[in-house]
Amino acid sequence: MPPVTIDGSLGITTPMYNGSITANAVTPSVNMKNRIINGAMVIDQRNAGSAVTTDGAYPVDRFIVFEDTDGAYSAQRDTNAPAGFINSLKWTTTTADTSIASQYAGISQSIEGFNVADLNWGTANAKTVTLSFWVRSSLTGTFGGSFRNSANNRSYPFTYTISVADTWEFETITIAGDTSGTWLTDNGAGLKIFFGLGVGSSFSGTAGAWSGSNFLSATGAVSVIGTLNATWYVTGVQLEVGSTATSFDVRSYGTELQLAQRYYYRFTASANTYIGTGITYTVSNALLIFPFPVPMRASPSALEQTGTASNYRVLSQGGSLYTGTAVPTFDGANITAGTVGMTSLNNFVQGQSCLGNLTNASYLGWSAEL
Amino acid sequence: MIYKIIKETDDITIFARIDDDGLCRLTCTAEHSEFQTHIKAGKELQDADGNVMTQEQANQFVASLA
Repeated sequence: MPPVTIDGSLGITTPMYNGSITANAVTPSVNMKNRIINGAMVIDQRNAGSAVTTDGAYPVDRFIVFEDTDGAYSAQRDTNAPAGFINSLKWTTTTADTSIASQYAGISQSIEGFNVADLNWGTANAKTVTLSFWVRSSLTGTFGGSFRNSANNRSYPFTYTISVADTWEFETITIAGDTSGTWLTDNGAGLKIFFGLGVGSSFSGTAGAWSGSNFLSATGAVSVIGTLNATWYVTGVQLEVGSTATSFDVRSYGTELQLAQRYYYRFTASANTYIGTGITYTVSNALLIFPFPVPMRASPSALEQTGTASNYRVLSQGGSLYTGTAVPTFDGANITAGTVGMTSLNNFVQGQSCLGNLTNASYLGWSAEL
Repeated sequence: MIYKIIKETDDITIFARIDDDGLCRLTCTAEHSEFQTHIKAGKELQDADGNVMTQEQANQFVASLA
């Protein structure tokens, strides 16, 4: 009887009474090979593809814009993408600023400490990592960015080159992990990656070396904010352990959405929708509990809504639907649920159970971003 | 944009962010990082009666909630 054999291409072959069976070789699943969440720019709970223009806005989930210059920008999820992707994050400079000595503009993702704890940064065993991404721009030249810790007192500026305008190019950056500094390994910001789109000299440093400064980019990098109507796209952002960029870690949409919802959760009503249960505790006030789909990184400290009180209603005694006379307000939250105050002028019967009702396209949003 | 106190109890203080178009799209506690950034940057803070706090009063008030 032949022995059991294990072959790299055929898989496992085992003897049977009258033959053998062969199992296909399987590439083992690697959980969270890519430490970046929403690297393919698919998830956009806040805007559903609409543009953002303000400092601190999130054009797609988990990627924040820092725009501290006197220029202006527009950023959004876009369908221009290289083969294998359906979305990218697009930046357009709408007001140029060429004098940015102590200012900066760029896009960043902070990675939670739990998700990079195994990198051992800040120790002698710090692991090498590789950042890879697809990028295109109307500008060419040497662009920059950086890796930073949460305290902004360790940074590593990097560069990459865009050779041809308006053409997708694949970039890889490999860096030796930092053996110094403090790198959080809890639910704080373990590692911050910044793509510079215009960084002044005060925040620029020598590429390819760790520094004790708060550098956001490399000295001399192209300033996208410096050119009116300049565009910059990015997608397929991946950060992985090792010195080689491997194929993009495709995760299911559901998985990626849940990963993103740990940091931001928005419920948007597609039609008149009942969500949230509670009690009318006065004749004009109700408190409703809204469970989160996944435990959040930390207790949210704010509630977002449309700003229009009539978008929000309460179903209470007798089946009556009471329209809000003030917008829903934050009343508390933990990592698993938020409490929302809703108001309807002197219409409730105190002590009744109730349901929340959101009209079409209205929303409630909670943030626990880093 | 300004912020205004809309609820003040022994347990919690809630602020409303009033955007430039007069709409409130966000309510938060003093722990909210965007709120802290805006107050430090000098955005207006009103008490529950609508009185505008000075920058120093606003900073002291927010610090007292920490």
